[in-house]
Amino acid sequence: MTSSSVPSRKVLSKIASNRLQKEVMEWQTNPPAGFKYKVNDSLQRWIIEVTGAPGTLYTGETYQLQVDFPEHYPMEAPQVIFIPPAPLHPHIYSNGHICLDILYDSWSPAMTVSSVCISILSMLSSSPAKERPADNDRYVRNCRNGRSPKETRWWFHDDKV
Amino acid sequence: MEDEEEVRLEVDAVQAVYGDDCCLIDEFPPHLTVHIVPRTAEDSSQQFVEAIVGIRTSAQYPKEPAQVYVIESKGLDVSRQKYLITRMRQKALELDGCLMIVALCEEAVEVLSGMNHPEGDCPLCLYPFFPENANLTLHPFMKLMSCYHCFHSECIIRWWKWIHEEKNENEAHGMSSVGARSQRGRQPIENRHEENKGNCPVCRKEFDKKDIEHVLHYTGSNLTIQLGEETDQIEEAEKELLQSKSEDDRRKQFDELLKLQQEKNGIIEPKKDLVVQPGMYISLPTPQPATDAAAEEEQEIGAVDSRADGTEQTNEVAAPHNKQKNANVRRKHRMRGSRKQQHHPRKQWVQKEVGNSSTSEQ
Repeated sequence: MTSSSVPSRKVLSKIASNRLQKEVMEWQTNPPAGFKYKVNDSLQRWIIEVTGAPGTLYTGETYQLQVDFPEHYPMEAPQVIFIPPAPLHPHIYSNGHICLDILYDSWSPAMTVSSVCISILSMLSSSPAKERPADNDRYVRNCRNGRSPKETRWWFHDDKV
Repeated sequence: MEDEEEVRLEVDAVQAVYGDDCCLIDEFPPHLTVHIVPRTAEDSSQQFVEAIVGIRTSAQYPKEPAQVYVIESKGLDVSRQKYLITRMRQKALELDGCLMIVALCEEAVEVLSGMNHPEGDCPLCLYPFFPENANLTLHPFMKLMSCYHCFHSECIIRWWKWIHEEKNENEAHGMSSVGARSQRGRQPIENRHEENKGNCPVCRKEFDKKDIEHVLHYTGSNLTIQLGEETDQIEEAEKELLQSKSEDDRRKQFDELLKLQQEKNGIIEPKKDLVVQPGMYISLPTPQPATDAAAEEEQEIGAVDSRADGTEQTNEVAAPHNKQKNANVRRKHRMRGSRKQQHHPRKQWVQKEVGNSSTSEQ
């Protein structure tokens, strides 16, 4: 139980890898708009390119998401972070960590990479201002030794953005 | 006003049939809602869809057909809802000029009974409930009573056990540890802490432990049989079985029997059946007194029959809520049941051995 902090160390369970194969197939036939899955060898780490939706503060900008799957995915949430440089957003820290409840407390095994991506894009799209979270510096300092965002005790105090 | 009298009588009839499921909004001209469920012989665990439909008539009814609409439904996606309403409207047109409220309700029951099964994929493993390839094993599924979201029984149970184990771990570790799992345990919004409650993975609606209790035994100790993984395990188990001595003996016996029958121009049909029946694998590994004995035709058949029955029975116990009327589906279920049993061959055997030895003693 100790270390979900290093989700990529443990191999995927058979269930997890079956499920991920399904997700890859579904993604290939029906990718979420605005996202590109960059094919690599590892089922366990996906690199996904996001393009800001038209008509939003991030129009035309592209960012990269890194999705790491834990051994017991989808019972456990994947770890999703932006590979810096992360978009300027009140809920995205400069180290790429994303404050979004469905990635932590509100994760449900019925969610998929695709649905998570859509949530992230929607979070970006509804941003009122390109700025960092107020506690960005402190948080990033605390995470310096490569801590996973899944270890953070997140406070989800704002569902407007 | 004869018409009005007839119309009122018709509404009485609907109320009599549907009881509390029928709710009268306007007496005249009648406007009512009816809670429609498929015919499942009162077994609510076998009900995967339902709908509340509204039927509204004008003052000209029955000269003008009734209007129908769906107020809410469970287990039906948009296209299936549309299908339901289309069928009801077609019925209304067919019966134009006649009293039709009763017939419309019956049509709705008919349509729902015809599509009383979940659609698409299990939200947890993403594998379809009904594989396109009919040769694939059909995995038992179930729905949550509160929201009618469906899951493979194994998938939902695996998840249920996961969240409850997680909870226990959190308690054991005094919540002091940081990590995703303890994070989830702290979840304030949902009642995950509560022993007997869960939240639907799809809609988060709370459900009660008793909703899934009837499938808890599925996984019991052999939670290891999991989707996908199962295939490999089966292959191995099958291989082992197929290469076992008892199976070799058996095959020889059947070959001889078959030869005999062919020579005699005999009926080979039942034999063929026996050979292909999926449930049969189960009984193979046990050295049966009957099979050990010389291949006496009748005895052999008797033994096989009783074994096949045994399979069916165990399966009924294992999957009481997944009985299907369709014979094909049933067969697949049996196959699944039998596969599961391979993980407990000894247990199974003990039981059977007892039965068999007692019969042979007689």
